[in-house]
Amino acid sequence: MRIACPFCGERELGEFTYLGDAAPKRPMAFAADGAEQPEAQDLFFDYVYLRDNVAGDMTERWYHGGGCRSWLTVTRNTTTHEIKAVHAAPGAGAQKRTKAGATS
Amino acid sequence: MAEYSWEVRSPLRNAFAPGRLGLASGDAGIALAEISDFSLVQVMARRGQVANVAKAAKKAWGVLPPEKPAAVVGKDATLIWTGPDQFFVLTAGSVPDPVPPLAVIFGGAASLSDQSGGRCLIRLSGSKVREALAKVSSVDLHDTVFPVGAAAATSIDHTGVNLWRGPDAADGHPAYSLLVFTSFADSLWHTLADAAAEYGVEATRTPLS
Amino acid sequence: MSRTSQISGDAAPLAFNDNPAADSRQPRSISTGTQSHRLSSGGQIDRKQPLGFTFDGKKMVGFAGDTLASALVANGIKLVGRSFKYHRPRGILTAGAEEPNALVELRGGARREPNTRATTTELYDGLAAESQNRWPSLRHDVMAVNSLFSPIFVAGFYYKTFMWPAKLWEKLYEPAIRRAAGLGKASGAADPDHYEKAWAHCDVLVVGSGPSGLAAALAAGRAGARVILAEEDSRLGGRLLSENGEIDGKPVAEWLAGAQREIAALANIRVMTRTAVFGVYDGGTYGAIERVNDHVPVPPAHQPRQRLWRIVAKHAVVAAGAIERPLVFPGNDRPGVMMASAVRSYINRFAAMPGRQVALFTNNDDGWRTAEAVQRAGGAVAAVIDSRGAAPERYRGLSAKLLGGVVSAVNGGVDCVRSIVVRDAGGRTQQIETDCLAMSGGWNPNVALSSFHRGRPVWRDDIAAFAPGQCPPGMVMVGAASGDFSLAACLREGHAAGEDAAKACGAKGKAGEAPKGDDEVFAIKPLWHVEGGKAFVDFQHDVTASDVKLAQREGFESVEHLKRYTTLGMATDQGKLSNVNGLALMAEATGRSIGDTGTTIYRPPYAPVAIGALAGHHRDENFHAWRLTPSHHWAAERGAVFVDTGLWKRAQWYPIDGEKDWLESVTREVLAVRNGVGFCDVSTLGKVDVRGPDAGIFLDRLYINTFSNLAVGKARYGLMLREDGLVYDDGTTSRLAEDHYFLTTTTAKAGPAMQHLEYCRQVLWPELDVQLTSVTDQWAQFSIAGPNTRDLLKNLCDPSEDLSNEGFPFMGVREVSLRGGMRARLYRISFSGEMAFEIGVPARYGEAMAENLMRAGAEFGVTPYGTEALGVMRIEKGHVAGPELNGTTTADDLGLGKMMSKKKDYIGRAMAGREALTAPDRQVVVGIKPVNKTNRLRSGAHIIPKGAAPGPETDQGYLTSVCYSPMLGHWIALALVERGRERHGEIVRAYDPLRGEDMDVEITSPVFYDPEGGRQRG
Repeated sequence: MRIACPFCGERELGEFTYLGDAAPKRPMAFAADGAEQPEAQDLFFDYVYLRDNVAGDMTERWYHGGGCRSWLTVTRNTTTHEIKAVHAAPGAGAQKRTKAGATS
Repeated sequence: MAEYSWEVRSPLRNAFAPGRLGLASGDAGIALAEISDFSLVQVMARRGQVANVAKAAKKAWGVLPPEKPAAVVGKDATLIWTGPDQFFVLTAGSVPDPVPPLAVIFGGAASLSDQSGGRCLIRLSGSKVREALAKVSSVDLHDTVFPVGAAAATSIDHTGVNLWRGPDAADGHPAYSLLVFTSFADSLWHTLADAAAEYGVEATRTPLS
Repeated sequence: MSRTSQISGDAAPLAFNDNPAADSRQPRSISTGTQSHRLSSGGQIDRKQPLGFTFDGKKMVGFAGDTLASALVANGIKLVGRSFKYHRPRGILTAGAEEPNALVELRGGARREPNTRATTTELYDGLAAESQNRWPSLRHDVMAVNSLFSPIFVAGFYYKTFMWPAKLWEKLYEPAIRRAAGLGKASGAADPDHYEKAWAHCDVLVVGSGPSGLAAALAAGRAGARVILAEEDSRLGGRLLSENGEIDGKPVAEWLAGAQREIAALANIRVMTRTAVFGVYDGGTYGAIERVNDHVPVPPAHQPRQRLWRIVAKHAVVAAGAIERPLVFPGNDRPGVMMASAVRSYINRFAAMPGRQVALFTNNDDGWRTAEAVQRAGGAVAAVIDSRGAAPERYRGLSAKLLGGVVSAVNGGVDCVRSIVVRDAGGRTQQIETDCLAMSGGWNPNVALSSFHRGRPVWRDDIAAFAPGQCPPGMVMVGAASGDFSLAACLREGHAAGEDAAKACGAKGKAGEAPKGDDEVFAIKPLWHVEGGKAFVDFQHDVTASDVKLAQREGFESVEHLKRYTTLGMATDQGKLSNVNGLALMAEATGRSIGDTGTTIYRPPYAPVAIGALAGHHRDENFHAWRLTPSHHWAAERGAVFVDTGLWKRAQWYPIDGEKDWLESVTREVLAVRNGVGFCDVSTLGKVDVRGPDAGIFLDRLYINTFSNLAVGKARYGLMLREDGLVYDDGTTSRLAEDHYFLTTTTAKAGPAMQHLEYCRQVLWPELDVQLTSVTDQWAQFSIAGPNTRDLLKNLCDPSEDLSNEGFPFMGVREVSLRGGMRARLYRISFSGEMAFEIGVPARYGEAMAENLMRAGAEFGVTPYGTEALGVMRIEKGHVAGPELNGTTTADDLGLGKMMSKKKDYIGRAMAGREALTAPDRQVVVGIKPVNKTNRLRSGAHIIPKGAAPGPETDQGYLTSVCYSPMLGHWIALALVERGRERHGEIVRAYDPLRGEDMDVEITSPVFYDPEGGRQRG
């Protein structure tokens, strides 16, 4: 398999590491003073363990650790391995970001 | 009181032997060189500071830092892309701490880390250099894809390397430079020498100029 | 000019080379007298270069350009092997990669290579081949008795017969069966040759160099694309090397020579001969095996034997040709029965005539070419048996005896055909004298590469074969491989595909005109099986037509079941010859169509690939890359013993003269540190520069404890969890400046931790302004420990440096000046529990640092120590490490629960609070001492309550880290034990069923030595 890193261009699979589903978002389960919210464990349980077993297009996290060390979001068909899109993680590089990941 | 001296030792001090390796007959197809006496600093732009970093680099070395995988030769320094909004500054001469002068150049716009001891610099050229590198690198080094000045952050033998193509050697053959982690240098040197052995290898050591 | 007139008009009758002495071109030193079946002219062999070789010890001679098989044919050798199961005598069947019979052991000694196809082995001078699977000799094989019992050795026989008692299967039956049924033997010695892997890149990969492949390469090359032309054979041409005919009005040989000249002149075409493309992988990556030096006895110095290529191609034109299909009739496996196309190859390419009276059995027009080729070469055609009953129009001019019907028996000896029996539609039989029966059952397009991504081949009635279905992205199949068999179609399709692929890659040049050839019609009427005796479908695995029918009767109707029950297609040829015949027979038996019956799943590799080639450079000392510490060579020169820690080689201990074992060395090192001073290279710890205005907040979210409030010039121990709440990694992090932390990880987690940190930076918290760089390799770091540490450092540091408790307190960090003009980072941290510092200098000064530490500590007897002593001292101090940070423990299990901040979010916080992770009966870290102080503890021993029967329900934990404590004078351990903290003082059992040990031990505090910690705070 080859992944087109948005920074490095197309590279062979061996330069990348797979993490998994990019869909789960880390919950904001703590108040400003650090106090744990009642639903924190449930939210984190979903975030840590619950995954869809997608047959088809899936967004995934890949790490170009054997290259530019950028985290990537890859849209890949799990049945054909066709890669439809590759994007850099919001915090790759030095652009200024808000919490939501948008450029400010 | 005993005398204390601080001699620089190459990570290739055991692996390196000057002269001919591999195929002994005919012209050596590969020139394999350890490049010594350099300083190397990792420059990483802070968030929102990319333009300021570029401006500072331009002022210091007369060139903009690479925005894509490339190695840019400036006045007294080569700037080598290592990742988005980050690059190496490679300069000739070994100094105990190359960071302070760069801190002056970049102010607070970039985070700087000395990597002079963290990398070993190896250069390969020769008539068979692409054939030898094809055994270790998955990067396409064809002229049309990887011309002079092109760079890649990539892996060789599961080891991260920064590879770039400098000006062609005096004999007209392409020349590729490799920065490899110091601890992997001994291993990689052997791997390169093995890959090149069938073409005949001439090993040398020269300071970065 | 029609083809028939060529035969009668142009072709001079050729004589057999029966009297080699008459050939004055032969050098005198070597006799070619054995080549009884060599034609005296023609072929692409070099008669001026005779090559001596042996087969089963018999000396023979062939010519440069021969394969081993063609040389055997030229020498009149028919019997070349014994079959897998019945030990039936077998001859050369094909002239290519699909050969199932002519498998030999090549070379000798450590280079012995079993199961090598004689048909693809280029002959070299001195080649020595042995036949396989026979004893005592190929002619007289005692195991051929199996053949007498063949009626009972049917598919599934072993499984049915040797079922009971089941336990004897593995011990008795299977080994005995494997001995009887087998192929060649590997040498068992390490392969003295080397192999390597390499990458290649192109716009257009052309697989195969027959007419379609050459046309494709020329078109793409002329258009300007980067082309790789891969050919399995040693020379280009494919079937053109074996066939007569014309292209662009020239004889094929002449056209081929011109095409090769043009290809050589195009710098953008890279020709890779002896290179078989065996697989296609995602993203247009193709696997290919180049047999660099299989054609010489021993590879030249520094050259690999084989090279495994990964070819990255934007487009691929697969012109892999087609494979002729055997006919399934009684006696079809007797030596002397050969594929019709192979007969043509031996005649036309190798000038070797497989028989003096060649008979042809065909069900299609193409087979007739063989009769034509035999006659053109001056040979005799005994008869043509065409199951369709009539000669195709274009061959009506051939003066050969035509018989309608089928071959129903093949008579002869162990190594020859003497006659065949032909049965017509009415059941009347006649006998034909022949010594070589050529058979043609049609052609199977070589669809393998199109099917490796689950593309299902599609049945085509017009060619009675499967044609490619959906190809992987970027691939097209052309010519015979796509089911279009005529020369004209091959040339046309190849050219068009080459041009299209080049254009798709952006090439702008002109592809020129497609070469033109004969548009002959391929006509076939399938004949799947001739009844009347043992008719083989899979030659190598001895699967017969009746085995296929038996499988159907027993319910194994699915093609995948058929394959596994009968082993059809599972031999080294992977069903290249047999699969379609097997499927057709199954279709017949089930009443389904062949298309509905379908094919088995195709999987790479298409061609055999040596494991050595897959390993490439990575064997022996190069099994994996290695990492050396900055003081490695210094330590090696002192005789250090190294241990592999991941990729690192670390000094484990430094033996000195007279020490009898490692324990003595390690004990000496520990005592030297505890009583004086020692140092250890700890550069392998992962080191990360965390910089930027938000570095402190970033670390707060990463660690269970807080770092944003760490003062500049201070270090703090930190613990990271995984998001599931279990411990991930630990280490000391120092704040070197307001916006600069220096973080350390364990050696093992250095790489993964960096990945984790980048994930947090780039994915989880992109709003933080923080930059990360690994500086693991930048810093040579040494731990200096022992009561004399400060004295040593006073010698090393500039006199102006204040190293007193006040000037440099515990957990303090700062840059210091060293004598001789060096700056270093000094950290007052301790892993050993002693007064200790870590000192860091850029790695290029690491070796000088080791030497200077020896110099500075000489008066105190400074002792370098290795990882074992380091480990002993951390166990004595109860510090956790890898065996305790093992992915099952929580911070509290390790006694570090109090570090968990409640004032902030951090990775793992929420999940760490789960019921099971905070349960009171969790196994926690304790110390263990043997009750009998002379007992040796063993890591992995289970903790069982006294009086309880050992078992899962009474298991309360286990010993994680064990050492002999020089300070206590007995063995000690750390362990994870249920409710361990409440049980200090309790006596339990350390039960080790692996070693048969069972002893009483005491649960203690994990801190065995200096529990107050006074020494390190000195």
